[in-house]
Formats: sequence, C-alpha cells, structure tokens
Amino acid sequence: MAVRARHLRIACQTLFLLAFAVLFLGLAVPRVPGEVASFLLSMDPLTTVATALADWTIPAWTWTGLAILAATAFLGRFFCGWVCPLGTLQQLVSWIAGPEKRKRNKVNRYRHWFSLKYLVLAGLLVWAALGANHAGWLDPIPLLHRAVASGLRPLWLGGVTPGGWVAFGLLAAILLLSAWMPRFYCRAVCPLGALLGLTGRLAPVRIRRTGEGDCTGCTLCVMACQGADEPLGEHRVSECHVCLNCLGACAERALVYGPPSAGTAVPAPALDVGRRRFLVTAVATAAMAPVLRATTGGEARAAGAIRPPGALDEPAFLARCVTCGACSASCPTNVIRADLGATGVEGLFTPVLDMRRGWCEPSCTRCSEVCPTRALRAVTAEAKQAIGGPAEVRIGTAFVDRSRCLPWAMAVPCIVCEEMCPTSPKAIRLEAATVLARDGRAVEVQQPVVDPELCTGCGLCENRCPVGEHAAIRVSSVGESRDPGNRMLAT
Amino acid sequence: MNDHRPEPAAPYDPTRRELLTRWGAPVLAGAALAGLGAGLAGRPGRHRPPAPDVTSVPPDWRVRPAEPGRVFIAGGEGPRANVARAVAAMGGMATFVQPGERVVIKPNCAWDRTAAQAANTDPEVVAELVRLCLEAGASAVVVADSSVHDPVRVFARSGIADAARTAGAAVAHPKNTGTVRLDLGGATLGTWEVLRPLVEADRVINAPVVKHHSLGRATLGMKNWFGALVGPRGGLHQRLNQVCAELGVAFRPTLTVIDATRVLTGGGPTGGSLALVRPDDLVAVATDPVAADAWGAGLLGLGPDELPYLAMASSRHLGTTDWQSVATTV
Repeated sequence: MAVRARHLRIACQTLFLLAFAVLFLGLAVPRVPGEVASFLLSMDPLTTVATALADWTIPAWTWTGLAILAATAFLGRFFCGWVCPLGTLQQLVSWIAGPEKRKRNKVNRYRHWFSLKYLVLAGLLVWAALGANHAGWLDPIPLLHRAVASGLRPLWLGGVTPGGWVAFGLLAAILLLSAWMPRFYCRAVCPLGALLGLTGRLAPVRIRRTGEGDCTGCTLCVMACQGADEPLGEHRVSECHVCLNCLGACAERALVYGPPSAGTAVPAPALDVGRRRFLVTAVATAAMAPVLRATTGGEARAAGAIRPPGALDEPAFLARCVTCGACSASCPTNVIRADLGATGVEGLFTPVLDMRRGWCEPSCTRCSEVCPTRALRAVTAEAKQAIGGPAEVRIGTAFVDRSRCLPWAMAVPCIVCEEMCPTSPKAIRLEAATVLARDGRAVEVQQPVVDPELCTGCGLCENRCPVGEHAAIRVSSVGESRDPGNRMLAT
Repeated sequence: MNDHRPEPAAPYDPTRRELLTRWGAPVLAGAALAGLGAGLAGRPGRHRPPAPDVTSVPPDWRVRPAEPGRVFIAGGEGPRANVARAVAAMGGMATFVQPGERVVIKPNCAWDRTAAQAANTDPEVVAELVRLCLEAGASAVVVADSSVHDPVRVFARSGIADAARTAGAAVAHPKNTGTVRLDLGGATLGTWEVLRPLVEADRVINAPVVKHHSLGRATLGMKNWFGALVGPRGGLHQRLNQVCAELGVAFRPTLTVIDATRVLTGGGPTGGSLALVRPDDLVAVATDPVAADAWGAGLLGLGPDELPYLAMASSRHLGTTDWQSVATTV
C-alpha cells in the first residue's frame, strides 16, 4: 500500500514534468489553445494571489490556482511533492547526485533558517499589495518557464541575452544546490511553497502515526524525507511535501497519510517565524517598494522599452506580469527577450522587443493568447496590421537615422526598409533625391521617410536594415497605443 | 538505542466535535477562496485607465445664454477703473453673480514673468474682478490656472497671487488643488484632467491677456482654456485652431474679460523684453467670447479671418466674428 502510494507520486511527477515540456513547446504552436499551453502557469496559486493583490483581479484561468489552494487546505502541500516540475527536477538531481545515504539523516533535519521562505512570501505579497507584482521572480513555475524560455530556447534560435543568462543561472543554482541538500529551494526559499505550507497547516489529511509504541525511533523516515518536516515526533505539516516516502521507509509501518480517524494525533509545532520577524519584513519591503517603482517615470513610463502588442498600460502591465516568459517562448520570430536593466529594477525579466533578433509579425497574436495573467490583453491580427489605415494596436514608431541611412548619408541606393514595410499603404515612403557621391558624381537615390500615423512599430524595417549592428531605422516606443502619455501626434 | 524514539502518543479516538473542527477549518478556507474567486475573476483590474468621472462637458456658466452677446470696452483710466466701468456698462456684476455662488476667475497666469512683461493677465484686472464678485455676494472666489512654468513661482512673480489674496480670493493651481477627469468632447480634444475648482464653480470668468503667439499669431480667450487642462498639452498645438474652437465649445464662461492694459506685440506667448510691450490701457468685458477674441486680435493688427479658430467657433454658434456689431466703447 505505502509503496504503491510512492510509485503513484512518482508517476504523477513524471506526468507533470512531461506536461511542462509538452505545454512549453505548445506555447509556440498556434494550434494549441493559448490557455492550454500556459495552464501550468495559470494554476499556480502564488500567481493568482499576487495578481489579485496587485491588480484586484483574477484574470483568465488563474482562478484554478485558488482551487489548488483550496485542495491544499485539505491535503497539504501535495502540489510541491506531486505537481511542481521544479520540485521534480530538484528531486531528480538529488536522486542522481545528492548526498550519500549515511549523510541523509543529517541533511534532512529541519533547520530554523528554512523559515526564510515565509519571509520571502511576506515580502513579495507586501510588494504585490503596493502594486509591484514581483512574485514571479522567485515563484518556481514562472522561474522555470522563464529560465527555459529566455536561457535555453535562444540557444537554438539565437541570442541569449543577459536577462536570459541570469534567469537560467537562477535555475542552475537551484538545481546545483539540490545536489547538496535535497529540495534546498523548496525548503528554504520557495514563496509558493511557503504559501502552500501556510494553507496546508489546516489540512486534516496528513501524516499520522498508527498507534502507541509502533515507532522505534529508527529515523528511516527522516532519511527518506524530501521536505525536512520530521515525520518522526512532532511532524511539521507546513514543511511536508506529501511525497509519502516516509510511509514506505518505515520498517514498522507506523506512519499513515490520512484523515484524523486514520491514526494517532501528532501535535504539529507552531510556525517557526515570530510575529516580530513578519512585521520587520513587511515594513522593510514596504519601504523598498517605492524605490523599486522609482526607476521609471516621466511621460514614457517604460522609457526605452518596446512591450509586446496587447501589453496593458505600464502600471497595469507591471501589476500583472509574472515574468514567466511565456510570451517570448511563444514568439515565432524570437523578438521578445527578458529585460535586464532597460526598464529598471521593477522591470527585471519583463518582456521587451529586440528588433535585431526578430520583429513583431503583423498576422501573429500568439503572445497575447498565452499570457496567463492577461498582462497582454487579447488582440486581433486585424487590430495590429494597419491595412487601409492606422492600426488600433501599435507598439512604437520607427525613426530613420539620417546620419546612418545609406541613401540619406552615403549616397548609396537602398530601399530595404520601404520594401519590408508590411502596412498598406506603406508607413515608409521613398522620396527621390539627387545627391552627390564622394567623387562628385550625382547619384539618384530614394530616401525613406516614415509616416508616424501608419507605422505600427513592428520593427521589420529595423530587423532587415543592411546597416549592421546599430540599424539606420529603429523603433522606439513613442506612439505605442497602450500609453496615452507616450505619444507625439494629436489624435 | 537511539535518542530519536518519540514519546508514545495516546491512542486516538476523535470525538464528533474534534472531527468537525478538523474538517471545518479547511471547508471554511475553501469557501473563502471560492468567494474570492467569484468576486475577482475576470475583473478589469484596478490599474486599467479610469473612466472619466463625468461624461458630459463642464457645466455651462453663462447667465442668460439666450440673449445676444455683447462687448463693452473701457480704457484710459487704469486697469481697475477700466474693468469696473466695463462691467457696470454690462449691467453690473450682480447681473452675473448671485449671492452665495462660487466664482472662478481664470487669468492667463502661465509664465514666470512680471506684470510689466505682459506675458500674464495684469494683477490689477484680476484684483478688480475678485472685488466685484465678492461685492456681488459670491461665497468664494478662486483665481485658478494651470501654469506652464512652475505654478508657485508664476503666481508669485506675476503678482497675481498677492493681488488675488489681498482682494479676498483663494489661489488654485496644479500644485495645491486636484483635478477631475472630464470628457471634453470634440474631434481632437477628448478626455482631460481639468482643474477641480473650475468643475465645481457656479460662475467662471475667463480673463486672458492680449498677446502675440508664435504659432497661433495671437493668444486670447479660447487659447486661455489650455490653462484649465492639466497634463501634457504639447500635442494639442498640432491642431491649434481646431483645439481652440473645441475648447470654446467645452468651456462656456459667464464673462470673458480681455486684458489689454499692456499688449505683448511680439515674442509671444512668453515675451520678456519690455520693448515688445505696448501700453494700451484697455479692457473689454464680453458675453460673446468670439467677438471678444476678434476685438483683441484687432489690437495685434489681425483681422478675424487671420485667426482661423474664430470662424470655426462662429460656425459652432459660440458668437460672432464681427465684433464691431456687438461692441460699445464706454
């Protein structure tokens, strides 16, 4: 019975790890409905709670996170032990390269500093309540998606950026640390684990002892324990991942996982965080929140950053974006990258468009389909195409750099940007001019001029500009339809 | 032997009460989460752009909208006496301000310039208007503008803050008062943050100064409504005439008082050099905002057809560009 439970758990973990891989690949397959491809992200309870606190809404399918949370109130942290793919990966690493058997008794002891995760959670939720939703920085589900989306995927599509390296480095560090201590991240850092642990304290269904005197104190259960929750003696319900290893490990079959009537009462110790530490954390993070938000400002609220089409106005966007990278994983041209620096501290890992990597394909709306929190609202291809007139959804405006442009500055004929421009009528028109070459001979050229009303900011011109490195036509965010303050033309 | 052997636990046989407590907590938590989900699911979110507080245009502050507009021009006796004489000719301030009404005076108080530089409305004109309104029984008079330069400096340097406060009015600008989001209508104008005192006023007197303007050639009464708007107004200049006419539709003042005590004849709208200032010592008080602006344009040597917004305003039934037909010099 107990052995079967553990096998069931392993099967479930395998299933969800595969589901993560398949759904992640599905992000880029338009035939897969966006909600399905990003379902693992939607069902993440921390995403739901942080978004509800930050923007007072539970968008799209993120309500399923509440269902997970409710189930946790009955069953404990089953999500950590049975579902979370980052937990599974850590478990896999520690299974292959973890501490040898004789050390496990020591390494699986509970430590006071495991309570750090509750302070991490408190800090992130305080920030969220103040409108700065940064739960995704440490939330394992977005963290894993982001690491693969911006750190691994560009390996074959080209252009891993600093944001991608940091995102992937975080994942690598977590996996390496789990070789030293099984599920180090789950035990000590994970804010989602902390949220589920707090909820799981209510669970009537938990690890219990079968009866008097069965336990011999052999600590085999401790050696097998993933959560360091000490099934022996006072069982720490908030730390237990419900991996059920202890059930099978117990030589006396003295442990069961079940409702109150299934076994003897095991007193659960109080949470290992004092009220004072919670309070200090809350005050300290609240004091930091304005500093986070002080890094952008002015009329262009995300200066220097082009957001994906459908992005909400910057404050709403930041309140919802959990930096999961689903948009960048879904992008057929690989134009979306995780930001590092351009949009300030608060914009860390948020999606920005880098037109030298790709461009925003006019007929594609995939990123807005897969966004689990609707930080990118649903847009239609027609709305961003500018066929027969200005587009409703614009992400920026292209500007010709006349000191770099071949026909403008070098007396060299070129029409590539105009040729590429996908709007109709074209937002780039050519004006014939006769210019003097270096040797004094007159050269007929056609000089590109941008019509800012028609330009959607798609960036295909910048992407294809033959002037290397720093293109001679570049998109900036001014004119983006999402921010009424960031415009230059009267409407 | 080892030290890990736990205390033997007592045999457990939960009572019904214990079971209810055990299961009750998660059931309550689940219900609370379901409630949260039902309440918040699919909501637009608190950061979405707010809908305008008021969907209509601001209140019409005119007293007798049906009567044909008139213009009274007074000059030669200094700003206070000129204002008093022209208002008296119009029927006295009591005709326009009833006891207990809240009045806002909207001067041109945009630039960090002294009164002598004539980039702002003359403080004496403002002071006299405040005095007349209070004399008519106004419960409160507020002198309000959304200045271009730092409003605290502008109100101080222009002399308008001192003059208004000495006369018994309060001073309002974006640094000390709030705004209301209003849908001002129009093809170009749209939704703007508007200085709150204006929205809350019973009567509003528009009190611009006559100035040269580098883009519009002249800035007068309708351009003066730019100062009611708070926010990045720069974009409005791309369709200046259109916007002036639309502002004239959105804001219908009780009176338009055109200050030509000093006329800035060049370098406008900012000015600076006293050589550009011409002392005309004139004031016009009008119930026809189009005729008032047309008269002011004449002081700058501009005919009504040289300010395209005047014809646009006239076609919107705001008044007549033929100011001579409705004007009286007193």
